[in-house]
Amino acid sequence: MENKPTSVWTSNRFWRRSATWITGVAAVLLILLTFDSMGQMQMGTAEDIQNKVTKRIPSPVVINYKIDYVLDPYRGHEVPIIGGKTVDSATGKVSSKFEEKEKFFGRDDWSEEEARALIHKGKLTIQAKNCMDCHTLLGNGAYYAPDLTKAWLDPAWSSEGPLQAMTGANSKEEAMATFLQNPDKYPTHERMMPNLGITPEEAKAVVAYLKFMSAIDTNGFPRNFGKIKGAVDARK
Amino acid sequence: MQGNRLYEGQKLALKYFTVAIVLFGAQLLFGLIAAIQYLYPSFLFNTLDFSIARMVHINALVVWLLYAMIGAVYWLLPDEAGVEVVGVKLGTLAFYILTAAVAVVVLVYIFVQVGPGNEMTLWLITEGREYIEAPRWADIGIVAVVLVFLYNVYATVLKGKHSGILVVLMADLIALAGLYLAGMFYTDNIAVDQYWWWWVVHLWVEATWEVYVAAVGGYILIKTLNANRQVVEMWLWIEVAMMFGSGILGLGHHYFWIGTPEYWWEIGALFSALEPVPLVGLFVHVLYDWGKERGKGNSIKNIPAFAWLTVETFGNFLGAGVWGFMHTLPQINLYTHGTQWPAAHGHLAFFGAYVAIMISAIYLAVQGKAGLKEMKMTKAGWWAISLITVGVLLMTVSLTLSAYTQTMVERGMHGATWEGYFIAQANKWFVQGMGWRLASGLAVVAGYALLVYDLLTVTKKQPAEVTEGEAAVQTA
Amino acid sequence: MFEPCTDIVCSFWSMLNQGPMTLTIILHTLIVLPMIWIYFDEKKKLQSGE
Ligand code: HEM
Ligand code: HEM
Ligand SMILES: [Fe+2]
Repeated sequence: MENKPTSVWTSNRFWRRSATWITGVAAVLLILLTFDSMGQMQMGTAEDIQNKVTKRIPSPVVINYKIDYVLDPYRGHEVPIIGGKTVDSATGKVSSKFEEKEKFFGRDDWSEEEARALIHKGKLTIQAKNCMDCHTLLGNGAYYAPDLTKAWLDPAWSSEGPLQAMTGANSKEEAMATFLQNPDKYPTHERMMPNLGITPEEAKAVVAYLKFMSAIDTNGFPRNFGKIKGAVDARK
Repeated sequence: MQGNRLYEGQKLALKYFTVAIVLFGAQLLFGLIAAIQYLYPSFLFNTLDFSIARMVHINALVVWLLYAMIGAVYWLLPDEAGVEVVGVKLGTLAFYILTAAVAVVVLVYIFVQVGPGNEMTLWLITEGREYIEAPRWADIGIVAVVLVFLYNVYATVLKGKHSGILVVLMADLIALAGLYLAGMFYTDNIAVDQYWWWWVVHLWVEATWEVYVAAVGGYILIKTLNANRQVVEMWLWIEVAMMFGSGILGLGHHYFWIGTPEYWWEIGALFSALEPVPLVGLFVHVLYDWGKERGKGNSIKNIPAFAWLTVETFGNFLGAGVWGFMHTLPQINLYTHGTQWPAAHGHLAFFGAYVAIMISAIYLAVQGKAGLKEMKMTKAGWWAISLITVGVLLMTVSLTLSAYTQTMVERGMHGATWEGYFIAQANKWFVQGMGWRLASGLAVVAGYALLVYDLLTVTKKQPAEVTEGEAAVQTA
Repeated sequence: MFEPCTDIVCSFWSMLNQGPMTLTIILHTLIVLPMIWIYFDEKKKLQSGE
């Protein structure tokens, strides 16, 4: 059945060999790159924080620290700063890291073990309640509700923000936990979050996860987070 | 095809196709619910929330496409290999087990919905990871069923003829099945979690499924146009080279912002930018073959199947190629990531690349079942393809408008905050896009109803005698 | 010009990533160059009538 091909370009065997070669190399490269990436994406430890080593995915003990998200002039985008005592928000100049603590549910001495347990429960809850089919996390998920990547840093939850005021709580973490347990009691818009039966422990764990997630280095996503205030939307 | 006598494997294919079409209907129904909730948020609030509607919508999509894909393989396998499918009894048993499992999973999704935050929920209710939410017990069942399927394919091909199409399919299906394993484990580290999650999602739709489509598309061309096998298989290898060459490392376009190293910017941008190239190739190839066969005065043996194949090549190129490229460079993706952009692209890409070709394969099976030499388009079939295609195109355009607004207002102007999100959602342009999406969704549903009707009746509506030549003109 | 480390963590790949195109050009070249050899090999076989 095989006609004699007249040119290499119409030879099935040439294309079959090329396809095999290309697929093989691409697959091997992907595997090598994956090893490298996995190495860089391991969760950090409390020791890293003590030694002031920056990790892409830090240790869960970051919940003991204040977290910022500021422009890094060298990398050209915003990066999370953990426990930065002197962050100049205008220039983004950071002169210290892993120093300034911040209480999380009244404590800033969560041990590595405790913090890990909290994060573990938080992640399980996030999956069990299917947060990702309304929200985006690290930008992936559904588009029915706000992105949660840096939700911990959202001005709406700060002490002057409307969301914290609405729940009547007097810290960010308490406000978030209160909201999560009864979201349909604290509507901000006609589109509300449903009641997912989140318990107080689950809520605390989820908030811990959100704080931890805000400290992940996402290469500057989302851009300009919370920086542009009072922009005018004339067409609204 | 050989008159009315079908291979047992082909009868099994018909079962898979039937469930596929039913699940397609469920997909559209739940998509409609989710689309209504965008405009009227109180609709089914706290009863069947958006997250549940959306989960059923996208899971039904993935599952029915897999059903149809398995069906199409069982259809063409005995035909290509020239022997009956080995292990068809086992395959039939696997079909019933899978279908029972899918029914249980869907019922649990709809009636149990969510669980407490512990491992048990991931095992029994949902894993809560977009597209592959299926609980772990079902994952394991799926793996078992797929192993049976793979065994049948391999054993059959080894016994019969090894056509180029079958060789490509065998290699591709192994990769496709193996990738599913990458999405089956749990980790606290959300960055690592999403890294492997994309191995499943991206390496499915932008590598292994695309190659699957190229192989099955080649088979449909041979069946509908009598295309030259030698040429079809040469194209197939070119497609494999270009799709895997760009698609495998193109995976990097999902590794821009999830805690991954910066070098993925470059890799993801430039490899995925080449992904549209093979899709243009596929498109050109089909049109070229069509023109060539028409020039020879040959008729199209199955007009609906061929028409849907044309929709697939065009839709694949437009939805995956053009709409994918629009947001694949990191400079743009920084602002479009996590907005309606991926939704606009996802709808046209899934429809264009996969839905259309699966419907084409089903029409081929309908013809084979009735033992018709030629099959023409009916009025209902014509309306079905038009309503569905125009509906999805319009939906994509509407979502793109909303996406622009969201990108500009929420991301550009308001720094991506909670407040910025809701300001953009309330924007007039955004809301109108959502309205048009709902309207076009209704058109798709109408088209679906006609499609089902046509699949059931098309063979009875064929003219008594189809003369050569006339059939070719019919498409015009 | 050359920066040994362009990311938080220095690695082989981040070293190749020196500007907007360096890494990807290297990888594309690695994939495409050997195809030239495959081409001439096939040509030889074709001419010798295999
Ligand atoms: C009746 C027609 C349809 C309606 C009303 C509809 C509606 C929707 C809605 C509301 C969402 C959720 C988007 C969000 O998270 O904001 C969605 C997601 C999705 N739909 Fe549909 N849909 C329809 C048909 C289809 C078809 C025919 C396909 C594919 C062939 C499809 C594939 C998808 C995909 C892949 C997603 C996930 C998108 C993403 O996360 O980026 N839908 N759809
Ligand atoms: C048939 C093939 C394809 C299908 C079915 C498909 C489907 C999808 C879907 C459903 C998503 C949204 C995922 C989510 O829910 O988060 C997505 C994301 C994306 N797709 Fe595709 N796609 C295809 C091909 C392509 C191609 C060829 C390109 C590039 C040229 C591309 C570029 C992208 C990009 C950049 C994203 C990420 C959006 C983001 O998260 O920011 N896709 N695709
Ligand atoms: Fe992709």
